[in-house]
Amino acid sequence: MGVRNGVRARNESAWLLPNDGSRTNHRLRQDMRRFADGDEIDLVIVGCGAGGSVLLQRLARAGWRVAALDAGPFWDPDTDWVSDEAGSHHLYWTDPRVIAGTDPVPMGSNNSGRGVGGSMVHYAGYTPRFHPSDFMTATLDGVGADWPVSYPELRPYYQQIEEELPVAGERWPWGDPHGYPHRPHPVGGNGEVFLRGAARLGITAKAGPVAIANGRFGNRPHCIYRGFCLQGCKVNAKASPLITHVPDALAHGAEVRPDAMVTRIAVDERTGRATGVHYVSGGRERFQRARMVAVAGYSIETPRLLLNSASARFRHGLCNDFDQVGRYLMVQGAPQTAGRFDAEVRMYKAPPPEVSTEQFYETDPARDCQRGFSIQTVSPLPITWAEHVAAQGHWGRALREYMSDYVHWSCLGALCEFLPLPENRVTLAEEKDSYGLPVARFSYSQCDNDRALARAAQSVMEDILAAAGADEVITIQRYAHLVGGARMAADERHGVVDGNCRSFAVPNLYITDGSVLPTQGSANPALTIMAVAARAAGYLAAGASGGTT
Amino acid sequence: MSAGSRGAHDRAERFPGFDVLSQARHWDQVTADMVMARTRPPAPPSFFTGPETACARTLLNLLTGQDEQDGELAVPVLEMVDSRLAAGETDGWRYDDMPEDGQAWRDTLAYLDADARQRCGTTFADAPELDQLALIQAVQDLKSADWHGRPAAHVWSLWTRYACTAFYAHPFAWDEIGFPGPAYPRGYKNAGVGKLEPFEVRDAQPAEDPVKDGA
Repeated sequence: MGVRNGVRARNESAWLLPNDGSRTNHRLRQDMRRFADGDEIDLVIVGCGAGGSVLLQRLARAGWRVAALDAGPFWDPDTDWVSDEAGSHHLYWTDPRVIAGTDPVPMGSNNSGRGVGGSMVHYAGYTPRFHPSDFMTATLDGVGADWPVSYPELRPYYQQIEEELPVAGERWPWGDPHGYPHRPHPVGGNGEVFLRGAARLGITAKAGPVAIANGRFGNRPHCIYRGFCLQGCKVNAKASPLITHVPDALAHGAEVRPDAMVTRIAVDERTGRATGVHYVSGGRERFQRARMVAVAGYSIETPRLLLNSASARFRHGLCNDFDQVGRYLMVQGAPQTAGRFDAEVRMYKAPPPEVSTEQFYETDPARDCQRGFSIQTVSPLPITWAEHVAAQGHWGRALREYMSDYVHWSCLGALCEFLPLPENRVTLAEEKDSYGLPVARFSYSQCDNDRALARAAQSVMEDILAAAGADEVITIQRYAHLVGGARMAADERHGVVDGNCRSFAVPNLYITDGSVLPTQGSANPALTIMAVAARAAGYLAAGASGGTT
Repeated sequence: MSAGSRGAHDRAERFPGFDVLSQARHWDQVTADMVMARTRPPAPPSFFTGPETACARTLLNLLTGQDEQDGELAVPVLEMVDSRLAAGETDGWRYDDMPEDGQAWRDTLAYLDADARQRCGTTFADAPELDQLALIQAVQDLKSADWHGRPAAHVWSLWTRYACTAFYAHPFAWDEIGFPGPAYPRGYKNAGVGKLEPFEVRDAQPAEDPVKDGA
């Protein structure tokens, strides 16, 4: 109880939700503080996802006058979300984007969220920490980059966020070994298959870590294991900032302004300081004044906003004097291997995040490549499963035949640490969006190390499924999570922000989202994005209130 | 790797009596309204022109293995794709060597008609089914090579993404694969290998592995 009481004292979100079977505290939203555009607030945050929401909540608690603008809606899980794959299309950022390079990365449902809560509304719920080695891959392995922040500096923030989500899982033996505040969830058919195959091969696999409370947490109910985590949790069991940080922020005087698309960051040409943000709401162009600006639009929209904020002083884009904006954008290679069993696995019956192994996370001299991968259960629903089957070349009658076999398949996914490369980047396309702004063009190409990692991961997944008794295995090459694009670095020639997320170019401009990560590890990034934002918030709250430092 | 022929066993018999819609009373209202709407007669196409509609209907039905014999069980894939395109509901990205999705659909349907005229002297929709299947297969077989100035693989991706997303959104398709569909607020109580909920139906042909049998 100690931990839980401690959480409530510093983040009351779970207790601010209703306990009557509905999912949204409408009164809290109605009574929300609303700032006028002309108010010079302490901080305006662009984007209300993993990074933006944590910053909002922390600084509201510190007494700051703070507002977060989000391009999408202020979701109500009861009325806005459905227990259905195709019907969840509106959860994804589907404004136009152009993808290029030799290995282009599809956007939308796979990696891009929309609305308050951001991509964590539709993420699977895995929340592993990065390993200590992820913060110094250049030194240890001669690839990637060293962070200006070390793992021990981030550790206390990992612990805080794990308690606030909260995270359930077995004691974690990898990286910096640690426990979790909630017990592991029981596993379904897919997790059972993974554990069985891994055990037969002597591979350690563990249940968790997932940001789904095991048991009631505040007024959030227990998971009902319905399998639709990626469609937005209608239960309020899976953590997203919409329920883990926004309620507490509102209760402490923060404003969340939904349906407000920020189009440009304003910088005073004389002082060189940010003065607020231009945004469009209800078809009107508006301007919110602020003493500080934090951008948290994730790895595509954050660089795009900086590039679209070019001015006489910043002719090639805000914070882009050294051509760093948009670069080193990473995506994890995510080959997905499925195995067929005569028994019925029915992998849709449990949260898709169940079991994972990080045994292959670090560089292994026995492999012909640097860094590594993790393996996790993924449990695609029919439409996503059809993509897996169609990728084998099947269509028409054959596709239908293979699809009719759905209940017999178990599916694993790898997260491979593809390396940060300078040419993997966001630039502006010729094409304009509905606001008249150039859309993002994301070019992505793999290197040899990336391809070697994906091959190694596929081979391990095939072995695990075969050891569990699969008589067939089929693989699709996919991508997971985005990070990078405005990375933190020791100096302005190597990145866009410093270790405290403050931009090198504009002293009162911060970036607090996944785009600041210099490496990605083989871990799902949500927890690390939140921890980095919490650390930046601590720095801001402890310093001069208002960024005059 | 092909469309294959009608399967040796009848798919409808894999999950005897399984009927997703019979459970609709257990779904939350918002989800139920959305899913039930898919089972009602669809609105006529508004994005595709008349000739495009004929071509797209044939293509989408063949991609999803539907033909006239399916009768009342047919999933209206053409109308589902058309309504997405009419609403501009894309996947949120396009390849830099392809136009935006709506234009890409119009262009590629025209290419398919052009190929059919060359091969059969008819539109794609009016060509014999074996020729239709061959024309589609030819696009897939090009892989990343050029097809009418576009990478065939990116055309294939566009077609199959829209087709599969529409088809497997439909409860009739869920009946066929044993998937119970919406699961809120009821959830599941019997997860695990070999375990069933009372409303699920066991596969009557568990050893009929189509990967082995059909490839």
